[in-house]
Amino acid sequence: MKVSPSRQQELLLLSSILRASRPLCARCTHSRSRQSASPLSPPAQRSFSILNRPPPNYPGHVPLTRVERLGLAVGSAITSLTNPYRHDMIAALGEATAQPFFITRLRNRMLSDPTGRRILRDRPRITSKTMSLEKLRRLPEDTVGRTYAAWLDREGVTPDTRDPVRYIDDEEEAYVMQRYRECHDFYHAVTGLPVWVEGEVGLKAFEFANTGLPMTGLSLAAIVRLKPQERQRMFEIFLPWAFANGWRSKDLINVYWEEELETNVAELRNRLGIEQPPDLRAIRRKLKEERRAAKAAREAALMNSTTAAPAPAQSTA
Amino acid sequence: MATAARLPLPLPATTSRAAICAQCRKATLNPFKRRRFASSISSAPEIYDVVTVGGGPAGLALLAALKSSPITSHLKTALIETQDLGRLRQWSSPDDQFSNRASSLTPSSVSFLEKTGAWRHVSQSRVQAYDEMQVWDAANDATLQFDWAADSQRHNAPPQTVATMTENTNLTRGLLERITELGADSALFSSTNVSSITMGKDDANADGDGLNLSMWPVLGLESKSQSQSQSAGSDVSTTIAARLLVGADGFNSPVRRFAGIESHGWDYHRHGVVATLTVQSVPDTRHGGSYSDGDGGFDLFSDEPLPNRATAYQRFLPQLGGPIAILPLPNNRASLVWSTTPQHATYLKSLSPLGQVSMINAALRLSQTDLNYMFTLPASAPDTLDSELRWRLQHTSPPPVARQPPIVTGVQEGSLASFPLRFRHATTLVSPRVALIGDAAHTVHPLAGQGLNLGLADAESLASTIAYAVTHGMDLGDPMVLERYGSDRFGKGLLMAGGVDALNWLYQLGSGGDGVLASFLGRARRLGMKVVDGGLVPGLKGLVMKQAG
Amino acid sequence: MARPSQWRSSLRAVQKSSAVTYRAPRVTGPRLERVAVVQIRRQSTASPASSSPSSVSPSEVSHFSRLASSWWDPHGPSRLLHLMNPLRHDFIQSCLNSSSSAVSAVANHSGSYSYLDVGCGGGIFASSAARLPSTSTVTAIDPTELVIQVAKSHQRSDPALSAPKLRYLNCAIEDLPVPSADQDKVDVLTLFEVLEHIDSPSSFLELAIPHLKPGGWIIGSTISRSLTAFLTTKLIAEAPVVGVVPAGTHDWNKYINPSELRQYFETRAPGSWGVFHTQGVIYLPVLGWQLVNNSEEWGNYFFGIQKLA
Repeated sequence: MKVSPSRQQELLLLSSILRASRPLCARCTHSRSRQSASPLSPPAQRSFSILNRPPPNYPGHVPLTRVERLGLAVGSAITSLTNPYRHDMIAALGEATAQPFFITRLRNRMLSDPTGRRILRDRPRITSKTMSLEKLRRLPEDTVGRTYAAWLDREGVTPDTRDPVRYIDDEEEAYVMQRYRECHDFYHAVTGLPVWVEGEVGLKAFEFANTGLPMTGLSLAAIVRLKPQERQRMFEIFLPWAFANGWRSKDLINVYWEEELETNVAELRNRLGIEQPPDLRAIRRKLKEERRAAKAAREAALMNSTTAAPAPAQSTA
Repeated sequence: MATAARLPLPLPATTSRAAICAQCRKATLNPFKRRRFASSISSAPEIYDVVTVGGGPAGLALLAALKSSPITSHLKTALIETQDLGRLRQWSSPDDQFSNRASSLTPSSVSFLEKTGAWRHVSQSRVQAYDEMQVWDAANDATLQFDWAADSQRHNAPPQTVATMTENTNLTRGLLERITELGADSALFSSTNVSSITMGKDDANADGDGLNLSMWPVLGLESKSQSQSQSAGSDVSTTIAARLLVGADGFNSPVRRFAGIESHGWDYHRHGVVATLTVQSVPDTRHGGSYSDGDGGFDLFSDEPLPNRATAYQRFLPQLGGPIAILPLPNNRASLVWSTTPQHATYLKSLSPLGQVSMINAALRLSQTDLNYMFTLPASAPDTLDSELRWRLQHTSPPPVARQPPIVTGVQEGSLASFPLRFRHATTLVSPRVALIGDAAHTVHPLAGQGLNLGLADAESLASTIAYAVTHGMDLGDPMVLERYGSDRFGKGLLMAGGVDALNWLYQLGSGGDGVLASFLGRARRLGMKVVDGGLVPGLKGLVMKQAG
Repeated sequence: MARPSQWRSSLRAVQKSSAVTYRAPRVTGPRLERVAVVQIRRQSTASPASSSPSSVSPSEVSHFSRLASSWWDPHGPSRLLHLMNPLRHDFIQSCLNSSSSAVSAVANHSGSYSYLDVGCGGGIFASSAARLPSTSTVTAIDPTELVIQVAKSHQRSDPALSAPKLRYLNCAIEDLPVPSADQDKVDVLTLFEVLEHIDSPSSFLELAIPHLKPGGWIIGSTISRSLTAFLTTKLIAEAPVVGVVPAGTHDWNKYINPSELRQYFETRAPGSWGVFHTQGVIYLPVLGWQLVNNSEEWGNYFFGIQKLA
């Protein structure tokens, strides 16, 4: 087969790509040749010391030695458990534990799915700039976009509150991690779980079953910090739901949320194979009302203690 | 089966009942019977010392070896082949086109061919010796590099060949030319079928004399006449008796069946996809201190880098069914041998050449996940494949080998084909007056490139066994003679075939998916590769290379 | 065909030699003489009608008759003989290569050799000699009728062995007429695994030697009479279950030491002889026959000697 000149040019480009220097994709701004060990090799093989750290693979990348990584994992695990509002520690824990195997597996799952591949090609980011909340609020009720916007409003957060990925070495895997983090709020929107500890834990269990990232599993340790009644609810209702559905449903990481903004939530859930979870908010509201009713009844009974026999309070919890 | 076109014996002039015996009378009534009667009294089968059925490389090499040695050149030999050997001898091909069936000849095979004087008839401009083989695994980042560099450096010797890529047709033609040079063309029964193999007859007469061929194989031969327009009745048939019948007739060997030798094995449920490729070598990308484990095999501090003629590459792809190998040929060509599932083979064959180029380049560089995905893309859109390849290359680290595999730029038209892969081994190589060589004896997975070499080694061993028998007055077909050949080759052949099979099995483990088990097995293989390549066991790699070569 | 008078004269010579040895026992080679005494005693008790002192032992004949049918079974009782045969050719080749040049020019002007194989059995050696390109003819004789039948039957199964290259005769050495002219005599006289089955080896050799032309070779194999040989060839080889040869094949008393043979050729054999070559061979299970130097004193060995005049 004769090689045409234009093809020849393409081949020259290809061979330049295949040279040891590995330029980054168009989206990334850095493009430099490597002078030492390729940072793409798994961390286990890299042998650099903190004195000669290799250059970063993407903006914000911090290459870590093995010891540093271990220290980060342990430290962030402890801090996350004691102070669950330290979201940067939670993020660090996630990154420290995802390498080398789990984030690669997640990336491979994206690469095996046509939509996932498109996401990896297009590299969409979810920021307040790319997600116009005003537009989303104007979407019809029960659409993914509307629910997402309502969610953010209710919880008082914006898309920008997600920490950037720093400790994942492979540039593409770093994007996968970033994407997972940014889509977390969408997961809330689609499952309906609230952002309290209970809801978060439930969602983390779902994500563990769905993505396999270790950090999501480790987060279940936060169950110890729940009140006994909450814990009971967790074990009886939410955990079974989370594991069953997370396992069965399609990969959430492969959902191109930007394209699903106008889809009906129930229809999307159907497509993904997720059953609607019990509404935690409604449950807690009902419980609160019951408790209030019980309390009122007790007080009333106390006041009427001398006059009439108190009617036994019916609890409908 | 067509009978000989012989004239019946002339009958006596008088036809009185008294003059004609009962048999003759019957013969006159039935012309068919007459011919058989006639043939039986005028033709005892012609007796040959060595009859080889099959004109492939193994059979031709045996004939050449017998004829080129003064000890055995006097033996009456015959080689029977269904194809037209004359046409095979005329085979020629332009310099920029190569047959898609090419084999890696090990140094011992080449030295055997040199000893028998056949190698110089093999067109040297069409063979490619290579000094190095890079092997790596897609499931991990281990690599293995086969070369004699360590030996060469130690002994200050020129680089030694690992193997020589030769087209099968080039080899066959070289062997045929050598046979002609030795004046042994008369031994070739070209365009001839073996119509039957039976045991001979015991022609005992009243005195107890007469030749007893009841333990001799007798072959019925049918030669296809040159002009096909004639009727089938004009086929010429003869019978020959063989002191030693050699089965070099391939996978479904009729000789093996005649000898009652069973052949066991299994199908790999894989196809070997072959093609001739045009390649462009990637400029030397070795850079100082890059592979920090230091197992790349490149010595940064040597005074002169060893000149390397060519390199062969093999990448194991457990999830896709088997390894892909790129073997070098002259003039920037290369031979592709890709063992993969039948579905993948069909897909590859349905692609346009551009698509095939993209897939082959992808198979050498991209991750197995990407490859699995690309196999699901529609075959009619080669541009999609190309763009996928480019995109993924940007996010894939280059192969961890000391020398990068070349970029494939084209596929020779019509050269992409596939054949099923099987493992077979005969339960024994010998039977009274029968010996098996080549594919009739064993069929192996192509991943180690050993198939043809085993056949040539069989031929060499059998030729030397025959020479020993001649100098010691032994009957060539005697079990005591064949024992020597069988015990020499059976163990070695089985070991090689079994070893290749075990290697294939090892590299197919964990092919099911991406999971923990696959990863674990990948690491185990990586450790194994490191042990062999990294010199943890001194001399192990050299031993492996010597065994394979 | 030799005339009866010739036979009688050779027989008389045998009688004379054995009578002489009886009268004056020699110091050397007591073994060869002692059995000769036994032979003569047997002679005297034989019927007067039998006029020839036979070299053939009836017990041996009957033993080999029983083995006849399995002679050519490669995994049968004769397997060891089949395995040894190629080594015989190697030894013959080494002897012929060391031929004294002066004499061998006479013997071997045509470049091909004629053989007389005495005690050929089923023809293992004789047929292999006939196949060699360097062989002109092979005459093979054996007194046991059944084994000659087996040999002839085997001859029919191979066109390369057809007459006149190979001929089998059922007779003893004394019955074979000696050619009158030297060039009709044979180049190589072979006695493989024969001497240890002969009651009177010296008289036997004296009958055989006249068939050999000057410059020709006597080459054979036999077993040394040693304790090791007793152990290996009687105790182990003929053992009931594990044995590799049938019981009764060998009589240890008939084994011959190389020194005895050498003595015979140096002192008593008619004519002058060259160097006495020997080569020990040992059979090892799995490995087969192995040439082992200096083992001729205590096991199987090949011997070869050239007739100079």
